[in-house]
Amino acid sequence: MGSTFMGLETARRGLTTQQSALYTTGHNISNANTIGYSRQRVNMEATLGYPGTGLNAPKIPGHLGTGVQAQSVQRIRDQFIDRQYRQETSKLGYWETRSNAVSQMEDILSEPSDFGLNTSLDQFWSSLQLLGTSPDDASTRQVVVQKGIAVAESFNYISKQLTEIQENLKNEILVTTKDMNSILKQIASINEEIQAIEPNGYMPNDLYDARDVLLDELSSYFPVEVSYEKSGGNALAIAEGSMNISIKTDAGLVNIVTGKDFASLTANTGTNTAITDAEGYQPFTSFTVTGSGKVPSDEIKYDDLEANKGQIHSLISSYGYGDTTAQTGFYPEMLKKLDELANAFAKAFNDVHTNGSDLNGNKGQDFFINKTDENISTGITASNIKVHNKFEKDPSLLAASTSDPINGTTGKPEPGNGGNALLLANIKAKPADGLGGATIQTFYQSMIGQMGVVGEQANRLAVNSATIQLTVANNRASVSSVSLDEEMTNMITFQQAYNANARMITVVDETLDKIINGMGRVGL
Amino acid sequence: MRVTQSMLSTNMLRNLSNSYGKMSVLQDQINSGKKITRPSQDPVVATKGIGYRTDLSKVEQYQRNIGEVNNWLDSSDDALDHVGQAVIRLQELVTDAANDSKTSDDRKKIQVEITQMRQQIQDLGNTKVGDKYIFSGTNTLTPLHDENGFAEPSAYPGLTKDVKIEVYDGVELKVNTNGHELFKEIDEMLANIEKSLGDGSEGPVISGYLTEISNIQNSVLEKRADIGARQNRVEMMDNRLASQEIIATKRMSENEDIDYEEAITDMVTQESIHNAALSIGSKIIQATLVDFLR
Repeated sequence: MGSTFMGLETARRGLTTQQSALYTTGHNISNANTIGYSRQRVNMEATLGYPGTGLNAPKIPGHLGTGVQAQSVQRIRDQFIDRQYRQETSKLGYWETRSNAVSQMEDILSEPSDFGLNTSLDQFWSSLQLLGTSPDDASTRQVVVQKGIAVAESFNYISKQLTEIQENLKNEILVTTKDMNSILKQIASINEEIQAIEPNGYMPNDLYDARDVLLDELSSYFPVEVSYEKSGGNALAIAEGSMNISIKTDAGLVNIVTGKDFASLTANTGTNTAITDAEGYQPFTSFTVTGSGKVPSDEIKYDDLEANKGQIHSLISSYGYGDTTAQTGFYPEMLKKLDELANAFAKAFNDVHTNGSDLNGNKGQDFFINKTDENISTGITASNIKVHNKFEKDPSLLAASTSDPINGTTGKPEPGNGGNALLLANIKAKPADGLGGATIQTFYQSMIGQMGVVGEQANRLAVNSATIQLTVANNRASVSSVSLDEEMTNMITFQQAYNANARMITVVDETLDKIINGMGRVGL
Repeated sequence: MRVTQSMLSTNMLRNLSNSYGKMSVLQDQINSGKKITRPSQDPVVATKGIGYRTDLSKVEQYQRNIGEVNNWLDSSDDALDHVGQAVIRLQELVTDAANDSKTSDDRKKIQVEITQMRQQIQDLGNTKVGDKYIFSGTNTLTPLHDENGFAEPSAYPGLTKDVKIEVYDGVELKVNTNGHELFKEIDEMLANIEKSLGDGSEGPVISGYLTEISNIQNSVLEKRADIGARQNRVEMMDNRLASQEIIATKRMSENEDIDYEEAITDMVTQESIHNAALSIGSKIIQATLVDFLR
């Protein structure tokens, strides 16, 4: 026969279990707005019935229930949705960063507008036409020189601004890498805590959540692959264990976190020289993965990075990679084209200019020069193109005339001859050397067009992946996030269950009162 | 599907931000009057836009060039008109002087007028437009005639060359009239007449100049006819450029300008959608079971 007080014990178990469920509800409500929080549930189970099995077990009719106990507290989470979420986050990270890089470039080039490089070239062209009509007019000549300076300065400005954004991209690569290393370290230390808690039979739900938030963040930088390692000891079957993380590359998985051990990444240029924040173009070549403990050291080359995934890949492909001279990457390619354009333009202009003769009948001299050395007009790029100072001081040096230049006794000045000015004006619309058959105008147009197409694609895919990510995030929230209505309902359920258990105690108390105080007092 | 408050608010926020995004694009369009403000919105429109801008700026410049062409042609025509009138007067004077009834005193009086006329024609040869001598070929800073006599092509090779102005892609118009030969010829003839009138030459010698005078009259007329023909051409070109300008502007506008009616209608629609989204949002978010439990 069971104990006299068995009913009290059963009700007490009910009280404490319902109370823990009520407290968990409170925890859920408190964390309704916590990022990455998954709602928790108390898994209740009936305690073993009475009597237990055994030779000495009393024989009673039936197997009496003994109440309830909280078996575990579990977070509600779907790992498949998490996986999907991280994949989409990687894509979103890539395209968002890409779209940002393109849009900054668009801001600098500001086309189509009334103040871009094209307008400056158009105005230069107009001034040359004007020179063609009045080659003997000093003010017209001055206008041409000034418009020429404006063209050179437009090239300088665009080149400088693009280089500055490129520098910012480099800093972003460095900061992101640092941030990533810090995340790896945090995940490893959470792993360590989890490894210490799980063997005691507990579920560290809030640590799991914290770890998953960090992993979400990490997956916006890199595509990652995750596996779990069960803790030993008395760990529950539903415990998640410690997390191992690898970066997915085309050359296979590169392990970066194993349990409490983690790697640290360094971005390299050239042959394993770390990229520094010192000014200057340092194209990316590889990541050095410095392992520790169970994480082996490794290397991730640019070509091995999975295409179109993660912010890091996007930043690197915008900033530039490979050899310094190769100029591969979105910004280096644009700068290279701009340099080609400036060079072809300066060369074509100088060629025609030196063929003409100036107001005094002398042979024309190089108009555009290399900023680094006044006397050379080779190696002109967008960053160093400049109009030679002497033209500003003396615009009569502009070779607007097609007359034969003075050479000994032959050649006489022709101030009214504007033939060469027209030839100079027409350079813009003529196929230029070094532009693969394109004219200055069409080459520039195709540069802008190409940038537009890249930007359009990046914007579209950024919106697409954001939409998909939102859908997946909604799916995840549907499983894991706290619903206040639901918690309120649960609260009432648990509260009433608690009340009912308390009433049960009262009932048992009353029955005991009957036995203890009311029995054997016949006639009293 | 289980739906929670956080999902509702995330969705609402997302929808609101989408709606703000659309409004911002429409606002940009209405403010700038352009369909796009950056190439990535429509690369085709952007690249075409660059080309059309260049086309338009070309047409505008060519129109300015036409102004300059007219300036040259009108001034040349005007100067040659004066030359023509002077030659007619010269014909009268020489015919008069060739009369045998004229005494050498009478002829000397005529000689004075001829001297003045010679001076005047030399000045006409030095006609300037702005700072340019228009009859000096490409040597526009050199007067045709100065105190040392006529400028010669041996020293100024530009005297016989054409001044050309571009009025359209690859279309160059000659704007000057080469005056060196003509003015020199007139001047030499006038010098001879002056001399003959002064040295007591008889009527037949003087009337001998009349053929020469009528030759010169012809060449002046020829030059003016040439200028007239060029003026016609310029006028045609001007008309063509005017219609080109309209076409280029229209093409540019069709390419990149917004349709205001459409954009404003879209904007109003978007605003009402946005307001609806906001008011629905406030309804979604306010109520939970908490509000109904005691």
